[in-house]
Amino acid sequence: MTADPPEDPRRAGENDAWGAFSLVTGGVVCWGGVGWLLSEWLDNRIFVMLGLLLGMGGGLYLVWLRYGRS
Amino acid sequence: MSNTLFAAEGSEFNSPGPGDFEYPPIFGEGTILTKPMLIVILGSLAVALFFYLAARRATAVPGKTQFLGESVYGFVRNGIALDTMGRQGLRYVPYLATLFAFIVTLNIAGIIPFVQFPATSRIAIPLFLAAISWVIFNTIGIKKHGFLGYLKASTIVPGVPKPILGFLAPIEFISTFIVRPITLTLRLTFNMFAGHLVLLLFILGGEFLLFEKGGFVGIAAGSVSLLGSIVLTFFEGFVQILQAYVFVLLSALYIGGALSEEH
Repeated sequence: MTADPPEDPRRAGENDAWGAFSLVTGGVVCWGGVGWLLSEWLDNRIFVMLGLLLGMGGGLYLVWLRYGRS
Repeated sequence: MSNTLFAAEGSEFNSPGPGDFEYPPIFGEGTILTKPMLIVILGSLAVALFFYLAARRATAVPGKTQFLGESVYGFVRNGIALDTMGRQGLRYVPYLATLFAFIVTLNIAGIIPFVQFPATSRIAIPLFLAAISWVIFNTIGIKKHGFLGYLKASTIVPGVPKPILGFLAPIEFISTFIVRPITLTLRLTFNMFAGHLVLLLFILGGEFLLFEKGGFVGIAAGSVSLLGSIVLTFFEGFVQILQAYVFVLLSALYIGGALSEEH
């Protein structure tokens, strides 16, 4: 690859902020949704809760993986 | 549900609400053209005309229109495309600049006297623009990495432990392909929606207090409200340009993300 000019650090910050937001939202929507489906199917509300928490945890973990290390 | 705020001596104030965003057809029952549609059509023509006039007979020493056109284009080129994607972003400047000019125009319609409605507060318009950006960044990603390669690049963060990959990849997938376009749409729509609502409240409320309610309190509060509406109009103008910038910046970031090697 040709040498690109370095990214503006402020831009990178904005990028990270929106990226983190969409990851956590994605986690909650994804596994919260699965939990909701399970709870409808098995008639037990606990799965929604589990799904939401797991999804949120997963999302936060992904944020850390992507933006937290370095 | 009634929206009555002040029920004062006989006349009452109906506070503005979502109903103020619904327009009947301009030419009466049976026709389909509404005010927001008209703003979109005129806005498109205005943007096209603006860039046409700016580029026609371009000279080394730019005239006023050419200067303005070059400022907008240069701002998107240097401030958005180069900053987020480097030189490989130059190919996408025409799309980004057009997008920026179009959104600014439709937003600014909210504070242009007698037009005074931001067409982008109707969700269909940001939704469609977000869909275009979505198609573009995915197409670029698929072209660059191949379908499976792109899917892999955008769902698997390097360094994820293998055992929980199946747990984390769907999160990445939803965050990239579903949350992104939705937030892009909602951010623009509801910034414009809320801004327009606040202006309506200050202006209509001020008018009501001043001319309907009257008395010392009415006149004092109404004057403050109307003066405040002037300040808020300028503030809205700022928000309208800022939100257009954010929309284009995020579109550029998504394109840049699809282009980059590891997502």
